[in-house]
Amino acid sequence: MNHFRKGHFALAALLFASLSASGLSAAPAPSLDRQFSDSVGPVIAKYCVGCHSGSNPAAQFDLKSYDSLAPVVRDYPRWDLVLKRVASGEMPPNQAPALPADARQKVTGWIEAVRAEEIRKHAGDPGPVLNRRLSNSEYNYTIRDLTGVDLRPAREFPVDPANEAGFDNSGESLSISPGLMAKYLEAARQTADHMVLTPTSFDFAPYPMLVETDRERWAIQRIVAFYDRQPTDFADYFAAAWRYKHRAALGMPQATLGSVAGGNKLSARYLEQVWQLLELTKEEVGPTVKLQAMWRSLPSPKPGELDIARAGCVEMRDFVRRIRRHTEKLFDVPAVPGLNVNFQPFVYWRNREIAAHRRDFDPGALRVEGEPPAPEFTVTRGPTFGRGEDVEVKKAIADYQKERREDPDLVVPAGQRARYETSFVAFSKAFPTGFYARERGRFYPIDSYDKGRLLGAGLHNVMGYFRDDSTLAELILDEKGKKELEALWLDFDFVADYTVRTWRQFLFESAAARLGRAITRPTFDESTTQATVLRYRDYYLETGAGANNPSVLAALKSHFQAINSEIRLVEQTRKDAELRHLEALLKFAARAYRRPLRAEEREDILAYYRQLRTQSNLNHEEAMRGSLVALLVSPDFLYRPDLVETSFGGAAKPSATGATVPLSGLALANKLSYFLWSSLPDEELLARAAAGDLAKPAVLVGQVRRMFKDDRARGFATEFGGNWLAFRQFETLNSVDRERFPQFNDVLRQAMFEEPIRFLADMLRNDRPVLDLLYGKYTFVNPPLAAHYGMPTVAGGPDHWVRVDNADAYGRGGLLPMAAFLTLNAPGLRTSPVKRGYWVARRVLGEIVPPPPPVVPELPHDEAKSDLPVRDLLVQHRANPMCAACHARFDSFGLAFENYGPVGDRRTKDLAGRAVDTRATFPGGVDAVGLEGLQTYIRARREKDFLNNLSEKLLVYGLGRSRLISDEPLLEAMRTNLASSGYKFSAMVEALVTSPQFLTKRNRITISSIKSSVSSKVP
Amino acid sequence: MMQASDPNQKIARRAILRGAGVTMALPFLESLSATAATGGNAVFPKRFGVVFLGCGVNEDHWSSEGDGAGMKLGKSLEPLEPLKGKINVVHGLFNKGAMGLGIHPPQTGSLLTGAHLEKGAVLHSGISVDQMIANKVGQDTLQSSMVLACEQPITGFHESNFSLAYSSHISWQSPDSPVPNECYPALAFDMLFENRGSLLNISILDRVKERADRLGRRISSEDNGKLDEYMTSVREVEKRVEGMRKAQDKAADAAKGQSKPVWAMERPANGLPEDLREHAKLMCDLIAIAFQTDKTRVASLIISRDLSSMYYPFLEVKDGHHTASHSNNNDAYERITRFHVAQYAYLLSKLDSMREGDGTVLDNSCLMFLSNLWVGRTHNNSRLPLVLAGGLGGTLKTGRTLDYVKAGDDNRKVCSLYLSLMDRFGIQLERFGDAESRLVGI
Repeated sequence: MNHFRKGHFALAALLFASLSASGLSAAPAPSLDRQFSDSVGPVIAKYCVGCHSGSNPAAQFDLKSYDSLAPVVRDYPRWDLVLKRVASGEMPPNQAPALPADARQKVTGWIEAVRAEEIRKHAGDPGPVLNRRLSNSEYNYTIRDLTGVDLRPAREFPVDPANEAGFDNSGESLSISPGLMAKYLEAARQTADHMVLTPTSFDFAPYPMLVETDRERWAIQRIVAFYDRQPTDFADYFAAAWRYKHRAALGMPQATLGSVAGGNKLSARYLEQVWQLLELTKEEVGPTVKLQAMWRSLPSPKPGELDIARAGCVEMRDFVRRIRRHTEKLFDVPAVPGLNVNFQPFVYWRNREIAAHRRDFDPGALRVEGEPPAPEFTVTRGPTFGRGEDVEVKKAIADYQKERREDPDLVVPAGQRARYETSFVAFSKAFPTGFYARERGRFYPIDSYDKGRLLGAGLHNVMGYFRDDSTLAELILDEKGKKELEALWLDFDFVADYTVRTWRQFLFESAAARLGRAITRPTFDESTTQATVLRYRDYYLETGAGANNPSVLAALKSHFQAINSEIRLVEQTRKDAELRHLEALLKFAARAYRRPLRAEEREDILAYYRQLRTQSNLNHEEAMRGSLVALLVSPDFLYRPDLVETSFGGAAKPSATGATVPLSGLALANKLSYFLWSSLPDEELLARAAAGDLAKPAVLVGQVRRMFKDDRARGFATEFGGNWLAFRQFETLNSVDRERFPQFNDVLRQAMFEEPIRFLADMLRNDRPVLDLLYGKYTFVNPPLAAHYGMPTVAGGPDHWVRVDNADAYGRGGLLPMAAFLTLNAPGLRTSPVKRGYWVARRVLGEIVPPPPPVVPELPHDEAKSDLPVRDLLVQHRANPMCAACHARFDSFGLAFENYGPVGDRRTKDLAGRAVDTRATFPGGVDAVGLEGLQTYIRARREKDFLNNLSEKLLVYGLGRSRLISDEPLLEAMRTNLASSGYKFSAMVEALVTSPQFLTKRNRITISSIKSSVSSKVP
Repeated sequence: MMQASDPNQKIARRAILRGAGVTMALPFLESLSATAATGGNAVFPKRFGVVFLGCGVNEDHWSSEGDGAGMKLGKSLEPLEPLKGKINVVHGLFNKGAMGLGIHPPQTGSLLTGAHLEKGAVLHSGISVDQMIANKVGQDTLQSSMVLACEQPITGFHESNFSLAYSSHISWQSPDSPVPNECYPALAFDMLFENRGSLLNISILDRVKERADRLGRRISSEDNGKLDEYMTSVREVEKRVEGMRKAQDKAADAAKGQSKPVWAMERPANGLPEDLREHAKLMCDLIAIAFQTDKTRVASLIISRDLSSMYYPFLEVKDGHHTASHSNNNDAYERITRFHVAQYAYLLSKLDSMREGDGTVLDNSCLMFLSNLWVGRTHNNSRLPLVLAGGLGGTLKTGRTLDYVKAGDDNRKVCSLYLSLMDRFGIQLERFGDAESRLVGI
């Protein structure tokens, strides 16, 4: 890593030196170098090298190796530390001879001068941003946004190494190996397995789509979800009509039926119809009369009781449903010698008739006094599963028949049949027996059996689907809805091929031989040709001729006709779809590459598809999957390369002047989206990039605000927050002894992981001050976490998160007391003030603390078995100056958390039963107690460190590279912006994204880039 | 531009370009094994297979008595007579969880998984025993398993409130998804010998190398360093994939060089064979040759699925399979049962004719024949018809009748058998399905 940086600095220095217009040449640099050898070096040799040299230098910092300016510049962050330590008097330590004031001044003055010079020379330097692949997290989020499904293929990948700052999103630490390459290939195949081809494009399912049953499931779920979304409850329409009726009293005198429908998400035209029936239809007899009476008796609105009519509307709805259930026009399969009652075409015929008559009624259901009762309708019973079910089904049917027979609202006075029938016509037209059939069993409409057969045809033992939703389209759906529904059903057959498969099963199951008349079975390949379908039609027409029933023949004919048409339609749709799929593939490629494709790239993708078809002999669907796999392992997808061409999609223009060039709009869009979402840019970002104004500060600021409000900002909260505060891998933490701490299960662990992410995401979304991270009195909990924290019960499941405003009453609030950090930094069976303190010092306050010396005795493993409380065991850290030099910086912070156990729960006694003691003496000799004491201390003395640390981390994360000295002015600007905005997070981000470091890149002129610019002009 | 195609027709246009078949010399392992020349105790891989008959047997003719040469087989098991020294006829095993839920799909969905099935639209079984084994040994072979079927799957929701997918599949790779059945012999052949999976990988890797090359010209020379890393990784992966393929070819050449007898298998014709006899034979041939050449070590074959609509004019049975099973104690259904056993016997005899070390491929395998029901007319699955064949590398004693019918419910779990078999593949589980102990006496 150092090697790289050295190379870049040297190169940069050379470039700047040779290209700089102002002609600043060597003057300051040699002077600083001279100063080092003349005065600074000797001071260091005298006062510092004694400890800081040799094979085991103190703090692993060998000062002797710095013999000139250059290595200092290269290693500036450590020298920044030297500056701090020396300036504050911490170094040399008390035991060593003190630095005289003028010597101190020489050292600190020189270091500051070096810094100033570097800043001056390289202000705004975007720095060396290495070509990098997507990190595992970026891979996951990008796949999620590309496919619409959160597949997370990278969960199988080896963990990404982090760079020095702890982030895994820079080329400094991200590399690729054959092992990872093989995983990419596997992940790409898995992703491609989720692809589903539709008539117009392709989509991705939440599960693989290779087995027929999964393809069906996908298609059926979409249709059923569509049905369930539609407003089909009569009660809702009655309630809306009531609101319209009382619109003045309800404060909306200008409302129309249309506006009321819209406001209640109902169908406007159906509401019209309902209104028509309730208010405008004049009837003297029949169910409408009763319904209108119920309608008129609905109470008027009262203030504060807006839902006063709801119960009445529900009664009305129940009435309507009952009447329609008892007057439903039902059909029975015809009796045909030689064909049994379960003969598929007849079952389908019956289904079709029922579906077509949902707005009709059965005159036979009306019982006119004096007339003989109409013959009881029958529900053809399909085969049942043995005597038990047989008895139950018989009973269910008998009960249903009884209900119909005994319904008092179906009684008609003698001689009045015609009048009543007329009124039933209008009533039935307005209120269908159903808008769609979501399920169908063998004994439809008896639905107490065979539940759950979604979109089924109610067949016995074989597969079969039936579409029954025409009243939905007739009465409820608008044009858009109708189109959507049509597309969903076409998708179903396109994807699951159910018509062909049902047909084949019917064909090969059909007990033709049993009928005594042979029919030649077709071959598998011939089974779906028009000739075969019609041949079977004719065969059955002959068989059914004996019934002398024209409607039977019509039923048979239309059934086979319908099957044939559907099979042909799907075949044709598949043919037409292939080109569309390829277009979709190209679109997908552009999104996956995160840039527009060149013509040659498009042709390349298509050529590979063709190769898969012809040379690898794959069918269309397989070749689509193979092409997709190739896209997802291609370097254009896996890497975020810095393309030499500077204009949006254009050819490279080698620029001979200027050390830096502005990023193209596209490059900027990508940089912004991977910064704030860890994923690919969306349509709006790309549009702004194409419009050419993305780099404008006002636009950038607007985008930042928008992006932080988007759900995808969770990516930032997780990746930036998770890596900054070292809890990114917490989801898989397995160092907790679950037998000692049974409350710590996977659900709680997940909740602990979520808490800081939610906190941060909320901060971004609502632009809260960053100081809330330290002092905020609120936090976010779900039910398990609330229980763990001893907070009032939160209802719901683990996905239900609420904000708790008085979290401090429970010892929570802000980052510091979050269970994730307390647990992460506790080694299993005891707390670890050292680890916890170190986390605060290092992660939160940004202290650089070197690692401990190699031979350090272990503290007891189990607090319960230890004779002394942990704090007493740490006394060595204070007593021994070699230890104290570092430990004095952070042990005390950890002690302040002693009233939180190893899994972050609040406690008053430790695991051995001793009372906990949260007193601590913070660096600088400040005595304090507990969390509050820590917060007070930070606020008084270390807040600047926190803000410095946060801004530095943000810069490194956002720029994807380590900090340079020349970043100092930018960091200053970020902090100033932060302070003057009330410490809003966005202020830092805005300063960063509008800086030259963010908006430009180093101009890297290479022979190859010039070559490509020439060759790209060749058509 | 491109020709449209019918996805139901996986036509091999390549038949024109390539030869019609492939020859594989055998035995594959001997040619590579260092101990082959010495004829010592080479350790051959163990294989596992399942052959499935839907809807049960004719219980009157499914029997065995005695052990070894004196074993007396019932009529339906007669095709196994020449091999009876290498089989175990196991009576009385069952899966309690598959009883009492309803008929057909819930009786089949957990046959090889032992999972507890729930009613409803959501498919959820378990990982089947053959896939458990494939997960363990599959990495060492070109294909981790072969899942074949002579009958197309049915889907949708059965009136028992369970999915018909349970009736169509016996091999499950995850609780939520079965392994897709390969019904086309030609495509199963391609997977083995045209190495579809790895050839496709190689073609993808070739292509992305080109992409890297093109991309490399559009970025700075410094950044090309990262792409070099990428290229190297791609090449490495390609080498590994190629390496496996080359090893197979090398074995073939080496064996040819030693003038060992060669088994030939032609690429089957495209499409689905019309005659079940031909279909089943081809599938058995594929499994045999795959085991023998170590392309895979795990295979399952559904000859007829649950709720099967197969029909058997060549057995002079007029009814479809499922209908016939409702009169399973008729001669017609006995013929159907025996036909299935005959296919199983064909596979076994083929494996037994392939020498491997001092024994045969069969000696190093375990092939299980079973059905989901015992008596089709009552849908009784309180015991399952089951036969094991092969000595599994000396770890399984053969030539026995094992009767667990009266052993008590806790001692006759088919999942106990699965645990015992998995043990022999080095998979030691504490529980599988409803069993926490091994099958005593196996």
